[in-house]
Amino acid sequence: MKIFTRLLLLFLLLSVLPLALLGYLNLQQDKARLRADALARVSALADKKTMQVRSFLAERERNVRFLAQSPSAIAGFERLSRTYPATSAEEEALMRQYFERYIKESTVFYDVFMITPKGDVIFTQKHEADFATNLLTGPWRSTQLAEAFRDASMTLEPVFSRQEIYPPSNSAALFIAAPIMKDGRFVGVLAMQLSNALFFKVASDAVGLGQSGEVVFGRKEGEYMVMATPLRYLVDGKEVLKLKLTESKNMPLYAAIFAQSGESVKKDYRGVQVVSAWRYLPELDWGMAVKMDEDEVFASISQERTVTFELVLVLLVLSGILAYYFARQISAPLESLAKTADEMAKGSLDQRADESAFGELGVFAKAFNRMAVNLQGIYETLEDRIEERTQELNASNAKLHEEIAARRVAEEEIRNLAFYDVLTGLPNRRLLMDRLGLALALSQRNRQFGAVLFLDMDNFKTLNDTLGHDYGDLMLIEVSERIKSCVRDADTVSRLGGDEFVVLLEDLDVHEQQALEKVVLIAEKIREILSRPYLLSGREHHSSPSIGVSMYFGHETPIDALLKHADMAMYEAKAAGKNTVRFFDPAMQKAVEKHAALERDLRLAISAGQLRLYYQMQVGGDRKPHGAEALVRWVNPERGMVLPGEFIPLAEDSSLIVELGGWVLDAACRQLSVWQGHEPTRNLTISVNVSAQQFKLPDFAERVADLLKAHRVEGSGLKLELTESVVLSDAAEVAGVVEKMRALKALGVRLALDDFGTGYSSLAYLKLLPLDQIKIDRSFLRHIATDSNDAVMVKTIIDLAKNFNLEVIAEGVETEEQLAFLMRFGCRVYQGDLFGKPEPIEAIEESLGLA
Amino acid sequence: MKKWLLIPVAMLVLFFLYRQHQIASPVIRIGVLHSLTGTMAGSEAPLVDAVRLAVEEANQSGGIRGAKIEMIVSDCRSDANYCAAQAEKLISRNKVDALFGCWTSACRKAVKGVVEKHHHLLFYPLQYEGFEQSPDIFYTGAVPNQQIIPMAAWAMQTRGRRAYLIGSDYIFPHVANQVVRKLLFAQGGEVAGERYLPLGSQDFDQVAREIASVHPDFVLNTLNGDSNRHFFLALRKAGINARDIPVFSSSIAEAELASMEPGLMAGHYAAWNYFESVKSAENRAFVENFQRRFGMNRVLDDPMEAAYIGVHLWVNAMREADSSNISAIKAELDKQAMNAPEGIVAVDADTHHLWKMVRIGRIRPDGQFDIVWQSGRSIGPRPYPFFISRADRERIESEYK
Repeated sequence: MKIFTRLLLLFLLLSVLPLALLGYLNLQQDKARLRADALARVSALADKKTMQVRSFLAERERNVRFLAQSPSAIAGFERLSRTYPATSAEEEALMRQYFERYIKESTVFYDVFMITPKGDVIFTQKHEADFATNLLTGPWRSTQLAEAFRDASMTLEPVFSRQEIYPPSNSAALFIAAPIMKDGRFVGVLAMQLSNALFFKVASDAVGLGQSGEVVFGRKEGEYMVMATPLRYLVDGKEVLKLKLTESKNMPLYAAIFAQSGESVKKDYRGVQVVSAWRYLPELDWGMAVKMDEDEVFASISQERTVTFELVLVLLVLSGILAYYFARQISAPLESLAKTADEMAKGSLDQRADESAFGELGVFAKAFNRMAVNLQGIYETLEDRIEERTQELNASNAKLHEEIAARRVAEEEIRNLAFYDVLTGLPNRRLLMDRLGLALALSQRNRQFGAVLFLDMDNFKTLNDTLGHDYGDLMLIEVSERIKSCVRDADTVSRLGGDEFVVLLEDLDVHEQQALEKVVLIAEKIREILSRPYLLSGREHHSSPSIGVSMYFGHETPIDALLKHADMAMYEAKAAGKNTVRFFDPAMQKAVEKHAALERDLRLAISAGQLRLYYQMQVGGDRKPHGAEALVRWVNPERGMVLPGEFIPLAEDSSLIVELGGWVLDAACRQLSVWQGHEPTRNLTISVNVSAQQFKLPDFAERVADLLKAHRVEGSGLKLELTESVVLSDAAEVAGVVEKMRALKALGVRLALDDFGTGYSSLAYLKLLPLDQIKIDRSFLRHIATDSNDAVMVKTIIDLAKNFNLEVIAEGVETEEQLAFLMRFGCRVYQGDLFGKPEPIEAIEESLGLA
Repeated sequence: MKKWLLIPVAMLVLFFLYRQHQIASPVIRIGVLHSLTGTMAGSEAPLVDAVRLAVEEANQSGGIRGAKIEMIVSDCRSDANYCAAQAEKLISRNKVDALFGCWTSACRKAVKGVVEKHHHLLFYPLQYEGFEQSPDIFYTGAVPNQQIIPMAAWAMQTRGRRAYLIGSDYIFPHVANQVVRKLLFAQGGEVAGERYLPLGSQDFDQVAREIASVHPDFVLNTLNGDSNRHFFLALRKAGINARDIPVFSSSIAEAELASMEPGLMAGHYAAWNYFESVKSAENRAFVENFQRRFGMNRVLDDPMEAAYIGVHLWVNAMREADSSNISAIKAELDKQAMNAPEGIVAVDADTHHLWKMVRIGRIRPDGQFDIVWQSGRSIGPRPYPFFISRADRERIESEYK
C-alpha cells in the first residue's frame, strides 16, 4: 500500500473509529436503559392492574355476600320458593325492584338468580331462557352457572364461576354464587351475573401504556389458550382468539396462565415485539398480560440513532479532508523524489529534485541532488570510453562475418560436386553407395524387402552420336524427371554416368511375394513411362529402357554384388529384346511368371465355372444351426483345389476381386433362395465376405438390392462380413461408409464385423457403425485356455459387444475347452471345426435334412 | 509467548479478580423449625427434607441475586414453648430472613407470638382449623373449606346424612368439628355420635363398638398421630369394613400409611390438597427430584408439598423484591403464584393463605391414593367460613385462643 493511502486510513481509523464505537455503545446503553425503564413501568402497571381487577372482583363478591345475607332477599326468596312453580307477579315485581339498583343504577351486574337447593331457578331479573329451569337436570345443567350453583351449595361458600359463553344471555358471562342461609340452614343460592361492559372496561383499561398499550386476559381451556376479554387488535377479524397452547408458548400470556409472573420483551398474539409484564389472577384462574409495542418504547432511540449516524458521517468527511492534506504533505515530496530518481535511473541524469519540502524531507532532497551531480560527472566520462571500445569491436566483427560467409559458399560447392550429378542434379554413385549401405542396414533392422533397379536407355549412343551431346543431355534430364515421377520421394533415383540410372526402392514389404509384386508394378510403370516419345528442342525422339532388378533383404547380398546383379539383369533385358524388365534371380523371374499365369487362369476360372462355394455352419449354444458362412473354393482342372489364401490376394491386387466377389454374392443369394423355400432352413443366414474394393463400388448397395430382387430373397437372410480394413480404410470416408451400411441395412441385410480385435477396433467406430454382429478373430481362441491375456481379450470383446447391444460370434472354435470358455464369457454363437468343417452344399444340406 | 503480551494478560487477570471480589456477596439464611425428636419427630422430619430440596433447587438456579441460601435447622423437640424460644434465637441471633416450620396448631400459636413481636416472617405448611390470620404468617396448608368441608359434603352426597365424629382431644379436631357440625346442620345432616380421645390413646374398642351399634353412614376422623392405627385396628376387630362404614380422615397421608401395616386402611378415604399420585409434569419432576435426592423408597405427602411450596414462593418473592427488607418481601409474597406439584397455587393477599386444589382419595393397599374427586380449579381460602355466623365465630375464637 502506498504511504499516502496508509496515512489516510490510519488517520481516519484513529479519529472516527473510537467515535463510532462510543456512539454505538452509547446507543446500546440508552436502549438498555430505556428497556429497563419500560419493563419496570409495565411491571408496576401490571401490579396495579392486578390489584384493580382483584379488588373489583372482591367488591363484587362482597355485594353478593351482602345480598345473600340481606333479610329482604331471604324473605323474598322464601316466599317465592314456597309457591314455586306457581309464580306470584307481585312478589316477583318486589324482588326485581329490590335488585334493580344493583342492575340499573350501578350497571355492575347484568342479572340476578335465585335457586333452590334442588336446582330450580325460581327468580331471575331478566327472565331469559334460564328462568324456571332446573340447574341439575334442565337444559343449562352444564353451564358455568350450574357449576357455580353446585359448588356454592356443596361448600356453602361464595364462589366465582368460570367465564365463558352463557347461552341464555348469548354472551360471555361470569357469575358469583353465594349460599342463602336461614337460621343456620342452607335454603338456596343467590347468583349474580357480572355486567360485561363494566368488567371489561375495568379490566382492559390501558391508561399509562402509551399509544400501543393493551391489557389482555386469557385462560386455559384444554389444549387451548382462550383470550377472555375483547382484544384491541383483531387477528383475522376474530374477536375471540383461541390459540393452541403449543403455539403460544413464547407469549407473555402463556406464562401467566401457568401462574408465573414476570416481565420481558416478547412477541404477543399478533406476532409483534412487545414490552410486557404478566400476572396470574387466582379468582378467575386467568392470566393477565400488560404490554406495549417495543417500537413505541424505542421510538426515541431510532431518532437518536439517526442523529448519531449523521454526526459520525460528518466527522468522517471532515477528518477525511484533513487527513488528505496531511498525508499529501508527506507523500507528495516523496513521490516527486521517487519520480526524479526513476528518471535518473532511466538515463536523464540532469534531473533535480524539488528542495522546498519541509523538515527532513527537504534535507533529504538536497542530499539527493548533490549525489545526482556527482553521479552525472562520473557517468559522462564513462560513456566516452565505452563509445571508443564499441567502434573497435564492430570493425573486427564485420571482418569475421565476411570470412565465415565465404567459407560457407565454398563448402556447399564442394559437397554438391561430391554427391550430386552436375547435369541432372540426381545423387551420384558415391551418394548412391552411401544410401545403399544405409538401406541395407535399415532392411536388416525392420525386415523389409527392397530392390535395386538398374536402368539403361536403349539406343542412347546413337542419339548422342547423331544429334550431339546437347541433345543427349536434354534427353537424360527428361529421363531423370520421368523416373522421379514414378517413385516415392523417399526412394533414391541416381545417375551413375552416361545413360545409366539406378533406382533404389526401400521398404517394399515384409513378404517377399508382395515385395516382388510391388517391384514388378513400379518397374513396369517406369518402363512404360520411359517408352513414351521425347520432345527434345522441338524434335520427337523414340527410345525405351531396359531394366534389371535385383532384390535385397538385409545384408544377405553385399552392396557391390547387388549393383552388379542388377547390371547383369539389365543386360539380360537388353538381350531379351530391349524395353523389358528382367530379374536377376531366376527363381524370382519364374515366380513373377507363375503369378502372371495364375492371374490369367483365375480370370478364366469365373467364366469357366471353376469356382464353387463351401459352407461352414454357425451354431448356437444348443448346437442348432443359425446359418453358414459361404467360403469360395477354386477347383482348377490342372492345378486341382486352389486355396483361397493363394488366389484371393491375387484377385485383390487386380480388379478381379470385384468380379469374384460379385460371383460369390450371386451364388450365395441363389442358395439362400433355395433355403428360404424350405421350412427347416427358412431362417438360416448366409454370411458372405465382402472385400474392400467391392464395398467401395459406388453402387454396391444397389448391386446387392438387385441380387436380392433377382433371386427373390429376404434381405434378412444375407449377412455381409466386413473387415475393419474395409470399413475403416479412410477416416475421411467414414460418413460415406456409414451411409452405405445404412443403405444395406435398409434392405434388411445384416452386417457383421469380421476378424474383430486384430485391427484398430476403435470404440468410436464401433459406436458409429450400424452393425449387427461382431466376429471374434480365430487368433484369440487358439490359446484362450492357456493364455490369460487372450482370455481377458475375448471376455472384453464379448462384454463390449453386449454393451453396444451387438451379437457376438466366435470363429475357429475347435475344442470343447474353447467352447466352455466362450460359454462362460457369454458368447452364444459359434463357428468352427468343432461344429463342422467347410463343406460343399450337398453335404451341408444333407446334414440339415434337405437332401 | 511474546513478552509484551504479559502486561495486558496480567491486567485482565487483575481486572477479573477485582470484579469477582465485587460480586461476592453474603449468604442468605433461613430458619427451619421442626421437631426432630419427641412424638412429632416422625411426622415433621420429612418436612425438613422437602425444605432442603426446595433450597437446593433455588441455589442451583442461581440463588437469590447470586447469594446462596443457607438453612439453619432447629429441633423443636415436640415442645411448642421450646420451639418459640428457638424462633426467638433464630430471629435475634442468627438474623434469618424467614422461618419455615411448625406442625401442630399449638406450636404455630406459640411461634406466632414471637414472629409478630419482631414483625418477622413464618411459613406454616400444615392444614389446620382456620379462624386465624396474621400479617407475619403465610399459611401454605389447607383451611377447613379446602379440606374438611368438601370432604364432609362429598361424604354426605355419596354416603348419606348420618355422620360419626371421632377426634383427638386438642384444638384442631374440636374447631374442625364445630365447623362440620354447622355444615351438617345446614345441609340437613345429623351427628350420630361424637368422641374425643386424648392424644396418643390406644384403646378404641369402646368407640368401635359404639360405631358398630349406631351404624352411621360415614365416620369423620380427625385423630392425630399413632392413635389412627389403633382406631383402625379396633374397627377391624369390631367387624366394620370400609364398604359398610367408610372413614374419612383429615390427618392420614402417605407418610403415615408408609409406617403402618399395608391394607389396614385400604378402602377408606382421606382429603388433601396433594397426593403423591397426582398426575402432572410438575409432580412427576417433584417426586423424581425428591427421590433422587433422599432415596427411592421415600414417599411424599401433602405437608411436605406445602413446605416445599412455601420455600419456592419465598424465593420468588426475594428474587422479585427490590430489597430484602421483610415488609418488601411480604408485599411481593402477596402477588405470588406458582404452578406447584398439586396444581396452580396463589397467595390470597387478604388472608395470607393459598388458593389450593382440593382432592379426596381412596386409600390403596400399597399406601398410595386413588383420587376419587378433585376440584376443577384451585379453591380460595376461607379461614372464616361463610356459613358460620359472626356470633359463632367469636365464640370459637375466644374458646380456642
